[in-house]
Amino acid sequence: MLKSKTFVKKTRSGGILKVVREHYLRDDIWCGSEVCEDCKDESPVLEKNPCLESSLCTYPHYLIPDTNVVLHQIDVLEDPLIRNVIILQTVLQEVRHRSGPAYKRIKDAIHNKEKHFYTFTNEHHRETFIEREPGESANDRNDRAIRVAAQWYSKHIPNSAEIKVVMLTNDRLNKEKAEQAGLVVYKCEEYIKSLIANPELVDRLAATADDQNEMTSSKIIFPEHLPLSQIQTGIKSGKYIQGTFRANRDNYLEGTVFVHGEGDESTEILLQGLQKLNRAVHQDLVAVELLPRDDWVAPSAVVLQDDGGKGEDDEEEEDEEKKLQTKKVHRDAMKPTGRVVGIIKRNWRPYCGMLNVSQIKESTRHLFTPADRRIPRIRIETRQAATLAGQRIMVAIDGWPKNSRYPKGHFMKSLGNAGDKETETEVLLLEHDVPHLPFSQKVLSFLPKMPWAITEDDMKNRVDLRHLCVCSVDPPGCTDIDDALHCRDLENGNLEVGVHIADVSNFIRPGNALDEEAASRGTTVYLCGKRIDMVPELLSSNLCSLRSNVERLAFSCIWEMNHNAEILNTRFTKSVINSKASLTYAEAQMKIDDANMNDDITQSLRGLNKLAKILKAKRIEKGALTLSSPEVRFHIDSETHDPIDLQTKELKETNSMVEEFMLLANISVAQKIYDEFSECALLRKHPCPPPSNYDILHKATKTKNLVIHTDSAKELADSLNEAEIDGFPYFNTLLRILATRCMMQAVYFCSGLDSDFRHYGLATPIYTHFTSPIRRYSDIIVHRLLAVAIGADSTYPALMDKHKQAALCNNLNYRHKMAQYAQRASVAFHTQLFFKNRGILNEEGFILFVRKNAIIILIPKFGLEGTVFFENRDKPSPKMLFNEEGPTLTVEGHTFNMFDRVRVTISLDASNIQNQKIRMALLDPVIPGVSVPLPEPEPEAKKAKLDR
Amino acid sequence: MATVQVSEAEKLYVLHGVRDDLRVDGRSCEDYRHMEIETDVVSNTDGSAKVTLGHTNVLVGIKAEIGKPKPMVPDEGYLEFFVDCSANATPEFEGRGGEGLGIELSNTLYKVFSNKHSIDLKSLCIRPGENCWVLYVDVLLLQCDGNLFDAISVAIKAALFNTKIPRVHISEDEDGGKEIELSDDPYDCVRVNVENVPCIVTLCKIGHRHVVDATLQEKACSVASLLISVTHRGTVTCVRKVGGGSLDPESIFEMTETGKRVGKALHTPLMELLQKEESLGSKRQKVGFLG
Repeated sequence: MLKSKTFVKKTRSGGILKVVREHYLRDDIWCGSEVCEDCKDESPVLEKNPCLESSLCTYPHYLIPDTNVVLHQIDVLEDPLIRNVIILQTVLQEVRHRSGPAYKRIKDAIHNKEKHFYTFTNEHHRETFIEREPGESANDRNDRAIRVAAQWYSKHIPNSAEIKVVMLTNDRLNKEKAEQAGLVVYKCEEYIKSLIANPELVDRLAATADDQNEMTSSKIIFPEHLPLSQIQTGIKSGKYIQGTFRANRDNYLEGTVFVHGEGDESTEILLQGLQKLNRAVHQDLVAVELLPRDDWVAPSAVVLQDDGGKGEDDEEEEDEEKKLQTKKVHRDAMKPTGRVVGIIKRNWRPYCGMLNVSQIKESTRHLFTPADRRIPRIRIETRQAATLAGQRIMVAIDGWPKNSRYPKGHFMKSLGNAGDKETETEVLLLEHDVPHLPFSQKVLSFLPKMPWAITEDDMKNRVDLRHLCVCSVDPPGCTDIDDALHCRDLENGNLEVGVHIADVSNFIRPGNALDEEAASRGTTVYLCGKRIDMVPELLSSNLCSLRSNVERLAFSCIWEMNHNAEILNTRFTKSVINSKASLTYAEAQMKIDDANMNDDITQSLRGLNKLAKILKAKRIEKGALTLSSPEVRFHIDSETHDPIDLQTKELKETNSMVEEFMLLANISVAQKIYDEFSECALLRKHPCPPPSNYDILHKATKTKNLVIHTDSAKELADSLNEAEIDGFPYFNTLLRILATRCMMQAVYFCSGLDSDFRHYGLATPIYTHFTSPIRRYSDIIVHRLLAVAIGADSTYPALMDKHKQAALCNNLNYRHKMAQYAQRASVAFHTQLFFKNRGILNEEGFILFVRKNAIIILIPKFGLEGTVFFENRDKPSPKMLFNEEGPTLTVEGHTFNMFDRVRVTISLDASNIQNQKIRMALLDPVIPGVSVPLPEPEPEAKKAKLDR
Repeated sequence: MATVQVSEAEKLYVLHGVRDDLRVDGRSCEDYRHMEIETDVVSNTDGSAKVTLGHTNVLVGIKAEIGKPKPMVPDEGYLEFFVDCSANATPEFEGRGGEGLGIELSNTLYKVFSNKHSIDLKSLCIRPGENCWVLYVDVLLLQCDGNLFDAISVAIKAALFNTKIPRVHISEDEDGGKEIELSDDPYDCVRVNVENVPCIVTLCKIGHRHVVDATLQEKACSVASLLISVTHRGTVTCVRKVGGGSLDPESIFEMTETGKRVGKALHTPLMELLQKEESLGSKRQKVGFLG
């Protein structure tokens, strides 16, 4: 039977369009129940004995949730306990329309065979399809459709089966109408609370609008948000500004709104105080109104954490807000300041964190503290507080009513005990949005079949380089070897140098699931003791890895050079190689240094090393920066996987040898693909930092009577080399660390959409990533481009589309940034584990930054950074004077300058288990009331011996 | 225009018949042929009607779109006409054969219908000087068997009656920014008042008398015809002479009188029929093009 669906809609250009769609009704849509004999369903989904014990429904029953229940209570529906649910097509369509993530989750639940979720296409069923009636709103019509379908089910399922259908809705009107129609209907909360088997499920119920009504008596804390239509017209007229809200990590009362402008004209608007922030959560898209110029303020340098053991004492909060509004600062420091008038789009996701168990014993309402400090604490209701305390849990925000100090949310799942390595790793992966699930079957299906061997087909377009004496040099324990090198003398007296990169693009073909997964992951993430691969292990550690003594496909970049390391000739080719040795940096160094060794590999390495030194000197001559960041490496106990020792990474000559040739290959390839595809080459740039970034560096060196020139990379490099202080050997490293912090982030971009290609740090006019395709997706794209350029492979449309490339670059940049953060978080966590086993230590450190109420200290021995606060909640604050020019901080008469040498104690503060912190306290200089006494001398020596 | 060849003898036969008020198909001079009307036949349009008059078959579809009012009359909407002479109607329309006729027809329709006396154009205005509804009236000739004008005018009146314009309202915020908003209820719509919409009565002068609703054969016997648009009250809104011959004032006067009388009589059953059809609502069995 044919029906037509008619509706009118407004087009983007303001026109009005009548749309008519054909709609077919059928009578062969089965009910999906095992008990039904009328329907000829071959494999019914709904069980014969749906057993879900509820005190409200003592009989076997199927559930039919309405749209709002699916949208808001998806966490409950996902629970393995809830089975035999009929999801109506009407509901599914509405969910899809209103929330993408919820739709995906309910679809996953439907696909899960264990769940026995059945989709009933009621909109196409002859007996359950209804047309909208005059005067009926779209929502009412859908509610009616749900009721009609539920009614159909209750009539359709044979009486002998004694199965009833139970409708779940939170809508009072809908419930009343359903009751009139003789249906069994409950509110979602009622039903879930009645479940006998699993009372914990109640915790996952999302707070609904009904609950919020109970609170209307309490006072309104926040100004109302404007409706979306008003915001839109306001933005059009320029009254409001649209931007992304970014909460301040160190100060919960402050945030900025990042406004995207054309080109470089992006600006930031400062927001200060809870009222002005007006319930914006980190990453939300908000509309702000600028305050009049007189009300503008300067960002405060105060570090404030919402530690809220004090509950909801508003007075204290007001105190803290007052603290922000310090005395009138200089006009230049004023930033455009605004207030949030409305939220355009929430960007909430599930948050990891821990529960702050309420002081009141029987209370079911608790506060949840997210791991990300930029996210406000969330109020949730749970009865399992006792079990959840000390666990890492996930919580979703449901809403933030204007009369609530904190957003409301509900418990989703527990990740495990806090402090466990697996739990913490899971948390940091989730928090940094690192895709870490195992590869799906679909992705794996695109892997080559084992056993794999090089075939005739592979040899087309390839040069056989198996005879060359190629070797790889990598860190110890590396299994994904993506580069190998060789060097040999040519008959004409010149040298031939080859860089051979794993030919990953040969295995990952554009557009298939494997390719899409790799593009989405963007990069391999290295954590301490764990690696999250970008491509499945078969490729990363076997087929693509250029291991020794096996034949591997490679993409080679071969130069002819003279002995002054000048390139005479460059050649790119796909090849087959057979690496003769996989060395570690140390092994390679030993071979070079050992005068007794004279085999081919050693010869080759020596040649490479010689050239690398010349290349490096040339590069530094051009102004390449040698920057520094303290990098830490852990010695991990092979059995317990706990860190037992840590050391800062040391660099050997061979490290720099490999690096030099990788840089050279990258530059050569960048030039080649840009020459060939000027519009769509994927390149990497490192923008020159704006002069203001160097302010802190200038201020800091002034105190030491030194001058750092920052006009160009070359001048910066030179003046950094000269900046030395006698008797303070670490000073130069500190300066370099500081200079690193001034730098901009290097980013991928598409050459067709940008004009500035320079790589500031490497001092090269053009650069890209070519040498690590196993662990970076950018390199795969560069491989493809280069393969097309030399005619070794065919192209495909997306490769030549600069807008698609730009979108890809955005994702890669995001993933890289997140991977870096995840890596740092992992190091920080292992550092904590390390100090946990050590007790209180007493170490020397240097002041890296000076803040208004704290100093940030770097401990060179551990590459560890920590903060010493001069304010304490329980004690009166010492007298402090902050001078912005220095910047210096004077505490009780002692002035702290940048780079000052101090002694501190380091301990793990595990008292607050949800946020274990490395705590530093001042030992020297001694300031009464501020510094701490020397800790009891522990039998350190003995302990150390035991460790070994 | 579609024509048939008529011999002198046939012509005389027709002429004599008309003189005696008995036409070839048995009608008297002021009789219309059998007429069938169905509205709401094309779901994609906002209003549509199909009219069959003898073997003449026309389909009219009306689409309402938002446009800008004409500068001279900022507070009125307007109508646009397009007549498609399909080659299905008669082989003469093949290629560009129907173009001239199409333009002639649409110009006439524009004169007859697009004025404030026929339709309340002010009601089509959304925001004076900014937005108004434009009704695009598309006429499709499916088959030609004489008297196109009358059939088209009836079809247009029926289609206008059937037209449902989505209701819009203008939302205004404090800054004076205005936005057209659409009601989300598809049943919430505005109807066009068709009370004063005229019908065209074409009178063919045959010999000394004149006939309404001439067949192609009769048309071939006539030297000139007069096109009169009449409202339900009998008001003549437009008179146009078509054809090569001339008409003396006396017969023009007579023909106008006949036209008024016939036109008035045409409106009443038409409106009754339309209302009856409307009252059946969605339960009505649609005939469409297969009936």
